[in-house]
Amino acid sequence: MNILIKIIYAIISVIVAIVWGLTLGGIVRKIYARVHGRYGPPIWQPFLDIIKSHGKRVSISHGIMFYLGPVFRFGGGLGTYLFIPVIYGSTVFANFSMAGDLLLVMYFIFFGQLGMALGAGEGGHPYSPLGIARGLSQMSTFELPFSLAVIAVAIQYNSLNITTIVAAQQGGILNWTLFTNPFAVIAAMISLLGMNMHSPFSLVLAPQEIPIGPPIEMNGSFLATLQTNRGLFGAAKLVLFMNLFFGGATNLPIMMIKTFLIYLVSVIIGASFPRFRPEQSFRFFLKWPTIIGIISIIFISYF
Amino acid sequence: MVNPIYIIILSLATGFLLSIIDKAGRKLSLTVFYSVLTFNVFVVADWLYRFTVLGVSTLTINTAGFKAPLSINLQLGIYESFVLLFANLVGLLSAIYLIKKFKESNISSLILYLILIMGVNGLVMTRDLFNIFVFLEILSISTYALTILTKNQKSLSAGFKYMIAGGVASTFFLLGVVFVYYFSGNLNLEFIDPNSLTNYGVIAIFLLAIAVFIELKPFPANGWALDVYESVDSGITSVIAVVNSAGIIFVFYKIMPLLPQNLLNIFGIAGVVTFFFSNLMGLKQQNAKRLLGYSSIGQMGLLVSALIFTMNSPNKLIYVIVGGFFINHLIAKAGLFWITGIVKKEKINDWGILKENKFLLILFGLLLFSLSGLPPFPGFWAKWEFIKLLVHGKMFFVVGVILLSSLFEVIYLFRWFTATVKNDSEIEEKIPFQFAKYFSTTVIVGISLIISVLMMRFVYNFQTIHYLPIIAVIIIYLLDFIPSKIKAILSLGAVGAYGYYIYPLENNLQLFFGIIFIVGSAINLIATFNRKKLSKGFYGFLLMMIFSFGNLLVAKTYLEFFLAWEFMTISSFILIMRGKRAQKASLLYMIFSTAGAYLLIVGFALAPSLVSNSALMVSIAKIQLPILSTILLAIGFMIKSGSLGVHIWLPEAHAEAESDVSPFISAILLKAGVLGLLMIGISYVNNTPTFNMFYWIGWIGVLTAIVGAFLASFQEDAKRLLAYSSMSQVGYIVASIAILSHLGWISALYLSFNHMMFKSALFIAIAGIYYRTHTRKMYEMGGLIKKMPLTYITVLIGIIAISGVPPLSGFGAKWLIYSSFIEKGWYLQAGVLFFSSAVSFLYLYRLIHTIFLGQLKYEHQNIKEAPIWFIIPQYIFIIGIMAISMFPNLIIQPLNSIVGHYFNSTIAIDGYNITSSLGNWNGNMVMLVTMGVFIVPLALLMLFNRKVQTVKQFNIVYAAERPESPQTTHVAHNMYAHFRKALGGWGKPRIWEFWHDSAEWAHTFGDFFRRIYTGNGQTYILHIILYIVVIYFIMGV
Amino acid sequence: MIFTLILGFVLLLIGIYGMLSQRNLIKIIIGFSIADTGIHIIIVSIGYLRNRTAPILNSAVDISKAVQQVVDPIPSALVLTAIVIGLAVTALMLSFVVELYKKRKSLSIDDYQELKW
Repeated sequence: MNILIKIIYAIISVIVAIVWGLTLGGIVRKIYARVHGRYGPPIWQPFLDIIKSHGKRVSISHGIMFYLGPVFRFGGGLGTYLFIPVIYGSTVFANFSMAGDLLLVMYFIFFGQLGMALGAGEGGHPYSPLGIARGLSQMSTFELPFSLAVIAVAIQYNSLNITTIVAAQQGGILNWTLFTNPFAVIAAMISLLGMNMHSPFSLVLAPQEIPIGPPIEMNGSFLATLQTNRGLFGAAKLVLFMNLFFGGATNLPIMMIKTFLIYLVSVIIGASFPRFRPEQSFRFFLKWPTIIGIISIIFISYF
Repeated sequence: MVNPIYIIILSLATGFLLSIIDKAGRKLSLTVFYSVLTFNVFVVADWLYRFTVLGVSTLTINTAGFKAPLSINLQLGIYESFVLLFANLVGLLSAIYLIKKFKESNISSLILYLILIMGVNGLVMTRDLFNIFVFLEILSISTYALTILTKNQKSLSAGFKYMIAGGVASTFFLLGVVFVYYFSGNLNLEFIDPNSLTNYGVIAIFLLAIAVFIELKPFPANGWALDVYESVDSGITSVIAVVNSAGIIFVFYKIMPLLPQNLLNIFGIAGVVTFFFSNLMGLKQQNAKRLLGYSSIGQMGLLVSALIFTMNSPNKLIYVIVGGFFINHLIAKAGLFWITGIVKKEKINDWGILKENKFLLILFGLLLFSLSGLPPFPGFWAKWEFIKLLVHGKMFFVVGVILLSSLFEVIYLFRWFTATVKNDSEIEEKIPFQFAKYFSTTVIVGISLIISVLMMRFVYNFQTIHYLPIIAVIIIYLLDFIPSKIKAILSLGAVGAYGYYIYPLENNLQLFFGIIFIVGSAINLIATFNRKKLSKGFYGFLLMMIFSFGNLLVAKTYLEFFLAWEFMTISSFILIMRGKRAQKASLLYMIFSTAGAYLLIVGFALAPSLVSNSALMVSIAKIQLPILSTILLAIGFMIKSGSLGVHIWLPEAHAEAESDVSPFISAILLKAGVLGLLMIGISYVNNTPTFNMFYWIGWIGVLTAIVGAFLASFQEDAKRLLAYSSMSQVGYIVASIAILSHLGWISALYLSFNHMMFKSALFIAIAGIYYRTHTRKMYEMGGLIKKMPLTYITVLIGIIAISGVPPLSGFGAKWLIYSSFIEKGWYLQAGVLFFSSAVSFLYLYRLIHTIFLGQLKYEHQNIKEAPIWFIIPQYIFIIGIMAISMFPNLIIQPLNSIVGHYFNSTIAIDGYNITSSLGNWNGNMVMLVTMGVFIVPLALLMLFNRKVQTVKQFNIVYAAERPESPQTTHVAHNMYAHFRKALGGWGKPRIWEFWHDSAEWAHTFGDFFRRIYTGNGQTYILHIILYIVVIYFIMGV
Repeated sequence: MIFTLILGFVLLLIGIYGMLSQRNLIKIIIGFSIADTGIHIIIVSIGYLRNRTAPILNSAVDISKAVQQVVDPIPSALVLTAIVIGLAVTALMLSFVVELYKKRKSLSIDDYQELKW
């Protein structure tokens, strides 16, 4: 295939994902506001935020790593997204998924997180490493149930290839992993709560404790880059979950509906519960979801 | 050719004449005295030469013109002359050592000394039982009298206890002699037929034997000996420990044919019991001479049991085992007792005075190494063969006890050694130079070395390559006066030449490890160019270690492999010990390594013999190791690779070693354990036994990975953090080996190679930082990115490579590992590995953040980039990492073919795309995409970001004020406090506590048992009487 | 002969009992001497043959029948040597006691146990 066409497809795919991701973010902000009894910002508020941040006349930098932090973050979001086949059967949205399998995606998620952590670290603000320490610790704990769920899926489909996994779920709702391997999906969905960092797991950005944590020193275009990535990366995670557990999508509207519904789980729980203390959160992930994850492996390999 | 009876005649005659000669001046009497002693040595040496080289048959000397049994006859054969040579030699050297005393003391001391030597000669040569009694008494009485050569209350009371104990023993001996005569009608050993004896006759023999055995100081009837060792002048102590013991053990050897088999077995066990308890009790001992006393009685016990258990073995084995233990004990003990007399410090903690005297320190070290049974000293070979013999005889319990006791011995000897070398108290006084004392000690060490070389050359036919590690040490030691840079260049050349020399290796697995060991070492060696002064002794041991790595690969037999393994242990121990506060670290390392080595001895002893003439790594594929052997070998190798449970040496050793040594230990030394484990695996997959041991090894590896990652996250010390990280990474490697599949082994080898590169780079980076900041505590640093950007880049790439974040090579490892685990069906293990890989982000971020990011400390404002010698090797490794990241085929292809020898390939390689049964990975494409997704946002950001203003430190707003102190702003100390809190009771260092408690218990037991030595002479007699009674009842005639 | 043999053993046991029960250094040595003497008596007794003469070839013995007429000479020879050696040991022990007494002014063995463990 012509590499140029491939790149053009990728650009289209990325833009769609960013737009959808940001819109989702707007919708969610609206939902939260209504739950709180506020009117809330317009749905396109995330776009306005990005434009505003880019419009700043001056941006403050603390050094090269600080400068590169948002780049790593956005690069991580881009890469994660680009290694996932978004829509089953679509060439435009196949991205670069032939470069690797599920493991690649799981590890590429860390690329942005690590880079961002380094950039934030150079900012020198104590809240940044505090937030990062919380974030890394929490990440390591929810990664355990998530990886168990992924292993269960790999056992189930005898593959780590995302396209293969999606293909195996085609042909009816009962073929979804959700129904064929429910424990894995429960474990993974609980992990997703941690990944999305909504309450009760909003340790990293915890506005009342360590005001927005790692990105505290980010400003201007740096912040805008991070905000853009928030849309893309959010979409990428949801797409990944959709592919693994909810039968994937064969066209764009299905993808949008499914990702919205998956996101809604986090939102509902986030709107209902207050925040955990860090150690409560860590313990939580190491207990119930981990046990469910182990059950899912036992379930899938023996039943 | 002098008739050996003249030894006795001349000594006796001179003894009587000396008091007259002395009237003409002490000079003359001393001349005569030393001439006689020298004469004795030469006569015996001459005979030994005749017996061994010329093949003269055993000499029998009849006295009084009659033949035996009518007269007393003497016999001098190969054994007699061998024992006598060493006894006389040590006698002579000890006399030289004592020359100052002899000049000042009464002439009777000289006479007594001469009589003592005469007594030993007679004791060894005579074949008549009553004559043995007479010589024994001559020996004893002269020894009793000599105990008070330095007269003080301690030596007097010890001498008195010695005398009554000896008196009781000889009373029983005499009783035995008389009744043996009564029942057999004969006193000559040749003419007593043990088979014709009645039950009463056996009792007579028993009395005879037990009396001699008591003189050999069995536990617990040996309190008197300890007191003597502690209090008597060092020169005499070494005579008692060596000359007397040699004579008495030979008497025991002579009467052995008379003893019934069950009594011999009891004695053999009693020897082992003595060895065990004396070493256990030695653990608690602080007094240097008494410590040597404990070691001495222990070694005698071992020697007795060796003598008994080798009875029916071929001659060559007896030579190596009994001769080896004999010489080893003799030489080491004589030398060490002499050194105690030179140093003149009672408490072993006061021996720091020795560290200023390098020459003496080296002698001390060599003697301790020899006593601990390390190569190339005779004790090493003896232990190897002895354990092998016992294992083949299925005496596993005895093997266990002997090895455990040896371990105790190693613990207290090396505690002493490390406490001496690493003593940090300020020492004003110097050890006075006394030529005679130094001379004797030097000669004995020289003899020990010569014997070692002779044994290697003639008994085992070793080639030059096997000596090479030692030769390297010696050559570099001789060149120690030249600046360290030149030595570094020479060493680099030597490593290159060595690599070239071993290069055509038999298979590619060897080549692969050769690259890790030799090429990796060579690059790491560049970092040592930064050493400023002479760095005496450093390069010798470094080369020794590197050559030993190589020798592991080319070793053809178990023994060659084990020899290289032990050389590796010795050299790495010494390198670790060079660290400033490395006493505890090096001691722990030595203890665990020794324990591992003992397991290897037994494991190899159990292994079937090799048939082919290939390297062990190759030929092991053809044999099937028994289960027990596999387990022992695996534990032994896993100790070296720092697996969970036996890992506690690892952080200490890595952290406390000098900063340019740590990369060798972490990046390369640990791989020796991996190599060993892989070797077992090779044998295992070719001949799969029923018991699936590797399943459990796999779990251990997995748990090592997760525990190591957690421990690393909670460290404040950068090197300890990296050390635990190594532990964790090697856990992955061990687990992947345990999978025993094609993909698993590729993962293991891939990760080994990768780990070698990134851990070397990281440790060298930390070395550079330590060189500039003089601290390893990460919270004392911060913000160094602006001062040391090159080092920062190394650490950045290093941590990305460890973490497994694409596109760097680490991801390849993760991909391979998870694929292989899931493919194998080890799902839960894979889950734990995922978890540990996520936890590893904690420590990796901590490492880079607390050192390089955050707030710069004021004291580091003017710090410079690390020296160029640290930068060069780092970047070589970085280039390596980048190369295999970009082009993974560079390594995956060869590994595919290497592992293809052992398993059918399960992966398909198409261009840069690697497909397993589960998924695929295209490293090259990932790299390109990553570059793309990095460059695009960067370009966008630069486009949108119109005016970037870089601000200075502290230009942040924190809690509504501008912070001013980096200490209060830099988040570093106890960074993951919340995680530790979340772990609760799981965060306790239980394994450390386990080992700590075990050590406490061992010491408590030792302390408990040594209370039987009340110091009361009467109690000692009671012990002896009870001992005799108890042994009699056990024998049950 | 049996009687002397038993006597010898009794002395040996008395001597050992003395060595173990007496605290005084001199008495311990006396115990040792008694035990030693017991041994000597044992040696002599086993060489003794009833109704025979001393093993000295003089007019009292017919040289051709000497072997039947004299007692076994070897134990006699042994005992002489043993006595000499016993004497030497005893003397040496006593001299140690003298020196010890000079240093510490005590003859109790309990006062000489600073070397232990």
